[in-house]
Amino acid sequence: MENYTLIVTEKPDAAKRIAQALDADGKPQNAKRNGVPYFVAQRNRTILVVPAIGHLYTVMQEDGKRGGYPVFNFKWAPRYAAEKTAQRTRLWIDTISSFAENAADFIDACDYDVEGSLIGYTILKYACNGKERVAKRMKYSTLTKPDLEKAYEQPLAHLDFALIEAGRTRHEVDWLYGINLSRALTQAAKRQSGTYATLSTGRVQGPTLRFLVTREHEINCHVPTPYWTVHAELEIDGKIFEAAYEKSVIGSKAEAAAIVEACKGKSGIVDRVDVKESHVAPPFPFDLGALQYEAYGVFGYTPSRTSSIAQRLYLDALISYPRTSSQKLPKTIGYRQILNGLKREKTYGNLAQDLLAKETLKPNERKQEDPAHPAIYPTGNLPDRQLDVSERRIWDLIVRRFMAVFGEPALKQDMRVSVAVDGHHFFLHGRQILRDGWMRFYKPYVRSKEIALPPVKEGDKIDVRKIICNDKFTIPPPRYTPSSLLRKMETEGIGTKATRAEIIETLYNRKYITDKTIAVTDLGFDVTETLHDFCPGVISVELTKQLEQKMEQIQNGEETRENVLREAVAYLAPLLEEFKRNEEAIGKALSEAVRKARIQERILGNCPACGTGKLMILYSRKTGKRFIGCTNYFKNQCKTSLPLPQKGLVKATGRTCRVCGWPTVTVRFAGRRPWQFCVNPACPQKRKGSGG
Amino acid sequence: MKCKVCDKRVKEGKAYCEHHAKAYENVVDKYDSWNKALGVTWKVYLDEIIKNPLTGSWAKEVAQQLLEENSISGINSN
Repeated sequence: MENYTLIVTEKPDAAKRIAQALDADGKPQNAKRNGVPYFVAQRNRTILVVPAIGHLYTVMQEDGKRGGYPVFNFKWAPRYAAEKTAQRTRLWIDTISSFAENAADFIDACDYDVEGSLIGYTILKYACNGKERVAKRMKYSTLTKPDLEKAYEQPLAHLDFALIEAGRTRHEVDWLYGINLSRALTQAAKRQSGTYATLSTGRVQGPTLRFLVTREHEINCHVPTPYWTVHAELEIDGKIFEAAYEKSVIGSKAEAAAIVEACKGKSGIVDRVDVKESHVAPPFPFDLGALQYEAYGVFGYTPSRTSSIAQRLYLDALISYPRTSSQKLPKTIGYRQILNGLKREKTYGNLAQDLLAKETLKPNERKQEDPAHPAIYPTGNLPDRQLDVSERRIWDLIVRRFMAVFGEPALKQDMRVSVAVDGHHFFLHGRQILRDGWMRFYKPYVRSKEIALPPVKEGDKIDVRKIICNDKFTIPPPRYTPSSLLRKMETEGIGTKATRAEIIETLYNRKYITDKTIAVTDLGFDVTETLHDFCPGVISVELTKQLEQKMEQIQNGEETRENVLREAVAYLAPLLEEFKRNEEAIGKALSEAVRKARIQERILGNCPACGTGKLMILYSRKTGKRFIGCTNYFKNQCKTSLPLPQKGLVKATGRTCRVCGWPTVTVRFAGRRPWQFCVNPACPQKRKGSGG
Repeated sequence: MKCKVCDKRVKEGKAYCEHHAKAYENVVDKYDSWNKALGVTWKVYLDEIIKNPLTGSWAKEVAQQLLEENSISGINSN
């Protein structure tokens, strides 16, 4: 095969879609070379579509060494050379290189964003032997046939080098920060304790952890102060309504008691009724952050889960490219065509029809734009496979949101009734949706509550059934959730839409944070405090923000990669020298934190035998074998001792057995399914033979 | 010098580490509101905030330490 067009894509699924769309019969030839899938489509000429598996190249130390700091010399190299776990990228690079040899021309069809452009660029430059200057670029926002055909027929004349330069710089700066600081932390801890533990921080990771630590400080230092609220139970037309006192917070018990005393046994008079009607504008289209936030609110999905579900829906050509920060839907996407497509689905039939009946369709948009992609929208295609529950939910959310943005404003009526009781005022609040407008399209996800009030007018006499006083305390600020943390990162302008969810996952993986309502671990505290003491700039939000702005400037041609790299090195070099000088003190603090974290990891849960100790994985001094013992053994208070398998990685699940209440653990063996069991050998479930 | 509450080292002339110093500040500051609201003594106040599930763990530890140090003298100890 010779003289073909070689199209490079980011993922195998995208390659398949593109080949299907471009093949004249929609049936490209599927084949494999070295286990790497590729597709041959026939159009006016032969087109060979070959996928990557994300980044095939990465930044690594120039001399290839893996330890020591500071290190400022780097190169771009195949990932298999830099990462032990990326060995299979060798096959992909070799395969793409072999296809490049006989290709007549080249097209980059990776996702049109910073990461996608960089993936395509490095493949064309390194694997295709310097074809990055001659390659054309397909730009599309959905994997639908019409979009892909248009992108192929009218490609951009060359790659977007400004976008690529920004991406390269981001990877290089992140590598400089990440590798140096993570090695510094890891080495300091290892020197002191003699044992190895991976500690990491980064340009965005450090400030993100700092948000959490600051919040944890506020929670840990919180002192609740007492206050009181008063409300009245009013009887109107035989129904009881709760009315709030005019002052929402009463600072002294005596004052609250005086109000109750004054109003007790009295009746009330309606002295004012305020009715206000107002319009509720439709929601704006989803950018990735808004989708992640909404999916967390309605389904409880973490941002990274939502992101990966959306990516699957995109690869199935059901939605547009999800990694966008745009809140706009341009006309060119074809509103009516999409609605006509959605109309075929029974659930959306009537809703889509109603919108199609409108003379003009105008979405409610917000200011934020993304030069590469519009906001997230459904393509109008219907699923050609059975979607799982989570995929179906996210798709439904996106479809309904898309329709809702074209809806009319809703009309709501707020009513406030003031009831005077012996000179004190109590308020009843009601809300009614008079016209549902866009809410009809977004119904299951609308969070506006209706509160019905009876018809009352000024001068009406009202029975006061009870005056109730509640003791309250001020509460600490709430812990961040993955979703609210993501939003915080967005508003502070750190990280990118593509990396934020991943950074939160890294914090979990490093054991700096735990739980869904995020709590910072001792290790998280100690790493942040060490960085705060010895290199505060690394956790500075301001510094990270400035760097993000510079990256934007590179994209706009207002800043150069060289300048940004020079500044990063100039900042890091003295900081790392200082770090090295203090390595002993830093190591002491960190190794203690690592030790505590490791002990914590070995604790499986409370000991049901003695009730006060903790069950923990211990190692026999004589045999070196592991078993479970109670921490009260050392106080001579509990002799609980339980066996454990000697092979595999044992981890606490954090849950107790449903049958006997003892802790459960998971044992992982390479290449096998994890095995979860109750540690109690006498668990009744085990006697049944199902393993607890 | 070590923090009066935990084992962390403290700066010269300070009684608490950074965490517990902030908690101490809050414990002392909030007494005024408690006194206005309920007219309680310093000792009762400390007892109450130790029992309260909404009190942060560092604030609880400081309150416990102040109680052990015996009431009023705790206010001037940092």
